[in-house]
Amino acid sequence: MVFRSPSRRDQDDGVRFSRTLTATLIIISILLIIFDRPDVRPPALSAVRSTVVDVVAPLLDLAARPLRAMGNIGPYWRRQSELAQENADLRDQLNDTLYWRDLALRLRDQIEIYEQTLDLDVTASQERVGAWTLADPTGPFVQSRIIGAGAERGIRDGDPVLNVFGLVGRVVETGRRSSRVLLLTDLNSRVPVIADRTNARAILIGNNTNFPRLDYVGRDADLRDGDRIVTSGDDGVLPRGLPIGVAALDRDGQWRVRLFSDQAPVDFVWVFPHVRVLPPEADPVIEDEMEPPTGDETGTATDESIEPALTNSADDTASTTQGDAP
Amino acid sequence: MRGSIDGRPPYGLAVWAAVSIILSLMIYASPGRLAQGGSLMPMLPLITIFIWSSIRPRFMPPFVIFIVGLMQDLITGGPMGVWALAYVVALMIMRVREEDGAKREIGPIWFRFVGVVAIATFIAWCAGSLATGGPAAIRPMLVEAAATVLMFPLIGLLTIRKRSSRSGFGI
Repeated sequence: MVFRSPSRRDQDDGVRFSRTLTATLIIISILLIIFDRPDVRPPALSAVRSTVVDVVAPLLDLAARPLRAMGNIGPYWRRQSELAQENADLRDQLNDTLYWRDLALRLRDQIEIYEQTLDLDVTASQERVGAWTLADPTGPFVQSRIIGAGAERGIRDGDPVLNVFGLVGRVVETGRRSSRVLLLTDLNSRVPVIADRTNARAILIGNNTNFPRLDYVGRDADLRDGDRIVTSGDDGVLPRGLPIGVAALDRDGQWRVRLFSDQAPVDFVWVFPHVRVLPPEADPVIEDEMEPPTGDETGTATDESIEPALTNSADDTASTTQGDAP
Repeated sequence: MRGSIDGRPPYGLAVWAAVSIILSLMIYASPGRLAQGGSLMPMLPLITIFIWSSIRPRFMPPFVIFIVGLMQDLITGGPMGVWALAYVVALMIMRVREEDGAKREIGPIWFRFVGVVAIATFIAWCAGSLATGGPAAIRPMLVEAAATVLMFPLIGLLTIRKRSSRSGFGI
């Protein structure tokens, strides 16, 4: 590539926008805008997005390091004068915590016994993947973070992301070494939640403010200011019971949530790889895996006894279908 | 910088242009909220593009402007094409022209930049609303635009030297 020194004409004319090239770029932009919406995004564009983020992640990490260091200077000096009081408070809290720890251990043992008794297959994962926030792009269209861990460390789309205080969001794009986290405050965020106290259900909807709103709250739902809000797990994406925040009624009578995660900057987070429960149609049983019941094993089911039952069932289905027909 | 004056190919400037654009994108995406306080971040990529398109238009052809906008879309996680379209159209409309004889002063340059920011913000808002399927939040965009306009003279003063060159910039 050969550069020539700029002539006076070059500088005076500014950037040369040829009609064909400019029109092409504008058309490409419009096509991208139309086809890159989250609901219709083709896999190829998703792959491009995650690949680009993967490539720039090391650079973003490099840029974030000095800022991370600077961010800790202020709080460090401010806290020096408060350390003695903080130590005393922590000592008190530790004494209280010992009681709760013993209680938690006893309850854990009890729960294990109950699970064994009921033969429950509980796949609650205790694994977590720690990651630094690499980029915190603030934009009017999306509120997300890029974190420095990806598929190589077992992270997948949909995994919940928490900081020390509570749920921050969920993974929406996974690269090999980086992931994008959609925050609870983003316009596209929808999380089914319950109030800890009453199990009142609602949907937490992001609205690009610091206080996402609670929607689809039942008419007679028992919800109060200060109720602890946690994930309900109804969507099958996030597990149940992740702490989100406390309910608060705003001036317009709309329920909102003060997020726990806002108590600290979202600089270091944990991703909890989560085994999702799939609906039956997404997780069909393969015929080869099923062993046909034999009369000898069950002791009750025989070919003769099954056949009439199947026939009756078929009749029931047929009559129901006919009844539903207009 | 002197390379362009004495006729040598300005490879150094080209590298500096690339580095400054990459830096502006990295800083724009950097986790500003980690430092306790606000999260005011001007559109540094737009400032960088505008300055380079005035200093050395040859380094800033439309497809480079498009790529920078696209990278901003990708890094911020927004819909692809929004800032790419906004930057290309805004800089096409408000490009430096021969008839502007007052471009040595920072005032007219700043005034032109305000126009670029206003057009880019308006187009991005329209395109973003189309992409997200509803009106995008206007307030954060206006705050970002205001921060960008206010930040420009600080960066401009480092690069602009009055009457030192016909482009209005000190390079």
